[in-house]
Amino acid sequence: MTLETLVNIGLQGLTMGMLFFLIASGLSLIFGLMDVLNFAHGSFFMIGAYVAWATFDGTAAIIPFSDLRFAIALVAGALAGGGVGALTEWGLIRPLYKRPIFQILMTLGLAYVLTEVVKVVWGASGHSMARPESLSRAVDFLGRPFPAYRLFIIALGLAILLVVSVLLQRSRLGMIIRAGVENGEMVQTLGINVRRVFTLVFTLGAALAALGGAAAAPFVGIYPEIGLEYQLSAFVVVVIGGMGSFAGSAVASILVGLARAFADYQLSPLVAQAIIVAVMAVVLLLKPEGIFGAKKGGGL
Amino acid sequence: MSALLEVQDIHTYIGQFHILEGVSLAANEGEVTVMLGRNGAGKTTTLRSILGLTPPRSGSIRFAGKEIGGLPTYSVAQLGIGYVPEDRGIFTDLTVEENLKIAERAKGDLDRKADLVFGLFPDLKRLYRLKGGQLSGGQQQMLAMARALVPDNRLLLIDEPTKGLAPVIVEKVMETIHQLKETVTVLLVEQNFFVASDIGDRCYILDVGRTVHTGAMADLERDEALVQRYLGAVA
Amino acid sequence: MQPLSSWLKARWPWLAVLACLTLAPAFLNKFYLGLMVQVFILAVFALSYDLLMGYSGILSFGHAMFFGSGAYVVGLLLKGAAWPLYAVLPVIIATGALMGVLVGIVTLRVRGVYFAMITLAFAEVIYILSASSQLRPWTGGDEGLHGIPVPAWMSPTAERVTFYYISLSFLVLMYFLARRIVNSPTGRVLIAIRENEARAATIGYNVFWYKVLIIVISGVLAALAGGLNALYFRNATPEVLGVGRTIDALLMTIIGGMGTLIGPVLGAVVIRVLGNYLADWFGPRWPLVFGLIFVALVMFFPWGIVGTLRQRPLRGLAQWIKRLSRGAGQKAS
Repeated sequence: MTLETLVNIGLQGLTMGMLFFLIASGLSLIFGLMDVLNFAHGSFFMIGAYVAWATFDGTAAIIPFSDLRFAIALVAGALAGGGVGALTEWGLIRPLYKRPIFQILMTLGLAYVLTEVVKVVWGASGHSMARPESLSRAVDFLGRPFPAYRLFIIALGLAILLVVSVLLQRSRLGMIIRAGVENGEMVQTLGINVRRVFTLVFTLGAALAALGGAAAAPFVGIYPEIGLEYQLSAFVVVVIGGMGSFAGSAVASILVGLARAFADYQLSPLVAQAIIVAVMAVVLLLKPEGIFGAKKGGGL
Repeated sequence: MSALLEVQDIHTYIGQFHILEGVSLAANEGEVTVMLGRNGAGKTTTLRSILGLTPPRSGSIRFAGKEIGGLPTYSVAQLGIGYVPEDRGIFTDLTVEENLKIAERAKGDLDRKADLVFGLFPDLKRLYRLKGGQLSGGQQQMLAMARALVPDNRLLLIDEPTKGLAPVIVEKVMETIHQLKETVTVLLVEQNFFVASDIGDRCYILDVGRTVHTGAMADLERDEALVQRYLGAVA
Repeated sequence: MQPLSSWLKARWPWLAVLACLTLAPAFLNKFYLGLMVQVFILAVFALSYDLLMGYSGILSFGHAMFFGSGAYVVGLLLKGAAWPLYAVLPVIIATGALMGVLVGIVTLRVRGVYFAMITLAFAEVIYILSASSQLRPWTGGDEGLHGIPVPAWMSPTAERVTFYYISLSFLVLMYFLARRIVNSPTGRVLIAIRENEARAATIGYNVFWYKVLIIVISGVLAALAGGLNALYFRNATPEVLGVGRTIDALLMTIIGGMGTLIGPVLGAVVIRVLGNYLADWFGPRWPLVFGLIFVALVMFFPWGIVGTLRQRPLRGLAQWIKRLSRGAGQKAS
């Protein structure tokens, strides 16, 4: 393997890692804070992809600049995901906090429903989305052309990582979230309405996943199974990174992304997917709290 | 004397288990009220019931003349009730500063209370940048009490503050609670009879989920038979 | 004759149902017999799921892997290797058991949501493998295996009545097997584990192996149901391994009432018979309606038909409507 190939696969891995990060970070925080393992989280990713694509294509007649349309599409995708997320938490998850098993069953059922809704609205087959003009070229990277769009995904992921880190470390809300992941009951006895924070975190997590889906759409295409597929990778990331650990999910995302890219190159995507699930199983067996584990136990 | 907190005949279930079968007590303003009783008598559950963490199914809880039974935990706390749980409830991943700041109910609470908090717990200044998880048990206990003083609380519920601490530290905790009396009312759960009799004004004895004795702490100290019966070897 | 009459007295509703089912081929046409066959197969699948979720408190989201594996064993051996049917049967059982042991040993070290998560991940990997183009020469890829040769004497089309009786016997046999297990000392230990795992462990039961055991039993039942399903439809497609299949089992169990034996069977009747008409009615929208029904059931009737009959019905619905109206009021003010 030449250095060039190495760099190229490395960048490819980072790109995937950032997409995993966008979906996994919300999943991890939601579980850490509220003890809800959200099986519908991939659906938010899917909604983001579909809404972004529909917005991008739908506004073609009105707005001639593809870059602007793309920016609008990203925002629309994230907002749609966040909106559905907020409704989900408020209407479906919140009434079931006293019945955790049914909460999980609910999210699994919801994932199924949202996938079917997407099929009814946009059809069961896949679609493709064009890249915006300024991101459809290739950039010279160490003497080799590298698609600018992937660099965009990497930059987007890093930006979100930075913003959320600052939010978690520097703001009062972030402080409450970190405290709540550790001991939600104690936070309440300090006079803080944790349920309101739950809604907020669920909405933000859903919006991040949807933003990931929107960013992924021109890269991997738009199809109904995209949600479950990326959710599976996100599960792996969250297990490796440790449930409830934001930093853990960031590091694990990049690791899993790189592992995927190299396995894809050397073996086949299929084997790569299987290997990564196997790695998750091994981590769970050896260190169930994850490598950077923040939260003990599996809930329930 | 007016009672700041009045608990009347509360019954609390955890799952199917009937844990509190009629607990009544009152905490008078400016006093330290002590709850005594064996392990499993329902002392912690009583505190948790007051806070709405394990809401009672029946009975009444009045705080400053207002019924608070059935209110969500955060509303109960906002009325001016602070909680120092048995495990101290320190956020290990947050710094000492953040552990104090998170308790602010209005912006600037910590600055306004700085004299009180650091007057009682001068060590915390030195530990300010450390994470909660890096503190010793005694330091965590100090931090937990300090945290309960940051907002304008009128009542503190303190659960076994001396448990597992070295004798020197126990002395210090007792001294602190003595000093607290000037600022807030305290409802204290304490297994250590020596500690309880030293700092308590009034006492309640709980046994299998019921209040079985009420009286002044000083009277209890003289009633050896009663102490033997409900607290056994503790005394 | 006293014992017999009291035995009859206690069991006459069951015997009546069984008699009706036995006589059904005389009255029902081929289409309805086929529908009944599907009900019986799904009932066993749901029953196997309830042994895990309802009786043992183990939440698996990968149950389709057992059902689908049974189907693929039938497909691969009958079509691919041209084995005789009697030789396939032990292989189905062995496959279900082996997968159960593996899944149990690997994943039971974690609990609750983690377990649900890994079982889903395993099932998805098997699903992806089954649909992959690289394995197309053996599995038929995303189209699956079609035209599985079924012995002429039990042909699901030409000899449907025979197939009907085979499926009915299968359900009855499995039902009694499940009842036997549930009422055995082992079954009581499992219920004790569900209620309070720590206490069961303290008493001295090896919780881990009891759980592996029930996963194996449940896996074998599901694999057998999957095998029969492949024989009936003469095909095995990736769909039988998909997460939708697991939701089928979940839904039937929840509709009927988890933690009861008759619940999942009732659930299968409702899903397949009612579902048959609803599917006609809603056409391609049916999966969506199906999902919505599931969500509504989880929200409002979590204890199913059997459980709801025992409890106060509709309380959840009333509470939820109250919440909605309160929320709307807040927004308005």
